[in-house]
Amino acid sequence: MRISEQAVFRWVVIVTVAAASVVALTLLSTPLVGALWGVALVVAGALHGYRWLGRRRRGITG
Amino acid sequence: MESATVAVDHSHEEHHHGPPEANQSSRIDRQTLGILLFIVSEIMLFGAFFAAYFFLRVVVDPPSWPPEPYELPVAVAGINTAILVSSSFTIHYALESIRRGHRNGLKLGLVLTWMLGATFLFIQLNEYAHIGFSARDLAFGSIFYGLTGLHGAHVFVGLALLSFATIRAFRGHFGPKAEDHLGVEVPGIYWHFVDVMWIIVYVSVYIL
Repeated sequence: MRISEQAVFRWVVIVTVAAASVVALTLLSTPLVGALWGVALVVAGALHGYRWLGRRRRGITG
Repeated sequence: MESATVAVDHSHEEHHHGPPEANQSSRIDRQTLGILLFIVSEIMLFGAFFAAYFFLRVVVDPPSWPPEPYELPVAVAGINTAILVSSSFTIHYALESIRRGHRNGLKLGLVLTWMLGATFLFIQLNEYAHIGFSARDLAFGSIFYGLTGLHGAHVFVGLALLSFATIRAFRGHFGPKAEDHLGVEVPGIYWHFVDVMWIIVYVSVYIL
């Protein structure tokens, strides 16, 4: 992934959708449930980033 | 991971003054690297404020949050969030336009982004005026104004960058090639960071 505004904008959309899901879950249930879902999303994002870095180091992605 | 460096040919220089030209990466241009490093440092700054916020909220664990009798205007802040998210779309539209060589689209996108950002800031200031507590009211007031005020300062800086980009766009400084519109791309990346940071602030402070 080349670092450009296009790549960053993709992440803006992803974060917006993720945040909207946290907001919806919080409003439908409790703040604790929303917070746990938010933490789960952050962990999933971190894992994805870690795997992407690993692939990049091995030269699989650009 | 190796980065190639661009070799600088000095053989044709007869009168060289000053230090040698710095090495450049072939993977990323200096301006983009600069803004990314700056954003990383700002993430650390926001991280410190979020740490204080969650310390108060979770570790200190007051009986109610927000403390009685304070209330946060969740709906108004939600509309403000929608305004700022829209501004990320407009600046992306501006950049997509100039990548295709459409200068009018660039100008329109930049003007719209600036206006949406200024509207966000105005609504935030209006919220401060009517919210019913100040930064001196309990630790809650301190951290609320600290976190949202820090973000507001970043929006202000972003508006300044967008002002420069808009003026230059109207003067015809930008072109379709990537190196010809870095003056919009770099503020665009910064603006997206400001947007994402507000989304995190809104969810943490107003929703959770």
